[in-house]
Amino acid sequence: MPTADQALDVAALRDQFLNVVFDSYELTLSADRLVAYATSCGETAAKFTDPQHADFQAPPTIGSSFQPKQRFPKGFPTFHGLGMDAGKAVAPDKPMRAGVPILVQTHMHDIYTKTGRSGRMIFFVNRMTFSDEAGILLGSADTSIVIREKPQT
Amino acid sequence: MTIHTLSDVSFGEQLPTFTPDTGLLNVKKFAVAAGWDAPRFTDHAAARDQGLPGAVIPGIMSQGFLSAMIHHWAPTADVKKVDTVFRAPCIVDEIYNVEGVVTDIDEETGEIEIDLTITNQAGETRVFGTAKVLLSQ
Repeated sequence: MPTADQALDVAALRDQFLNVVFDSYELTLSADRLVAYATSCGETAAKFTDPQHADFQAPPTIGSSFQPKQRFPKGFPTFHGLGMDAGKAVAPDKPMRAGVPILVQTHMHDIYTKTGRSGRMIFFVNRMTFSDEAGILLGSADTSIVIREKPQT
Repeated sequence: MTIHTLSDVSFGEQLPTFTPDTGLLNVKKFAVAAGWDAPRFTDHAAARDQGLPGAVIPGIMSQGFLSAMIHHWAPTADVKKVDTVFRAPCIVDEIYNVEGVVTDIDEETGEIEIDLTITNQAGETRVFGTAKVLLSQ
């Protein structure tokens, strides 16, 4: 692996790390947690705020709040300086329900670069997927982190 | 006007502005529910010690505000994606406007695209993004 002072071989990183699950755990959401999450965000629909509602479910963006236990795969290069959060996207597919176990898995979905006047920026996109006990996909959430590569001297 | 079906929606339509509760107590309630209960979100002094201008609203809470705004406008809308860029921090106890504009309507699939912004009282855009939602036809 290169050090942070060497230009990263992005193609090699993609070959080694993309689409390999590096973090996995199970969680169960409580009704109280779902109601607090929804009402603090300003949701008013009963299906998000009333556990007695026939279609009670998590608010659609809750998947963004799940965090992997480790942020990068084992063996991934480390970087000097601070990576910046470049954005988050959440794509719910099916409702998440209180009391139902959810499998949360994370893989590196993309690595790409943009080059501007200030040098090369490297973007890492981690994708977290959520599925139920039957393996049905409930949704996904992408987190993008950007790191400005040190100029080569 | 509350939106119920795709035919109620107009291209370029502005969603009613939502001014969420960004008070410290509410942000703390969210942070605990989300499992993001760090001092930089719930304690102004601790956040300032970290070089921030004050406690910051978690970006994921901003996503929740955007989704809530969509549901206030169209209670039956099925939010399929919220994609956001956090351009600058939103500060706890400050007032923000959460807004959206319909930028695309797919008559075949029932999918609507909405441009999203969260702006402060100085008119600065702090968060922007897009949402995709489904409405019945």
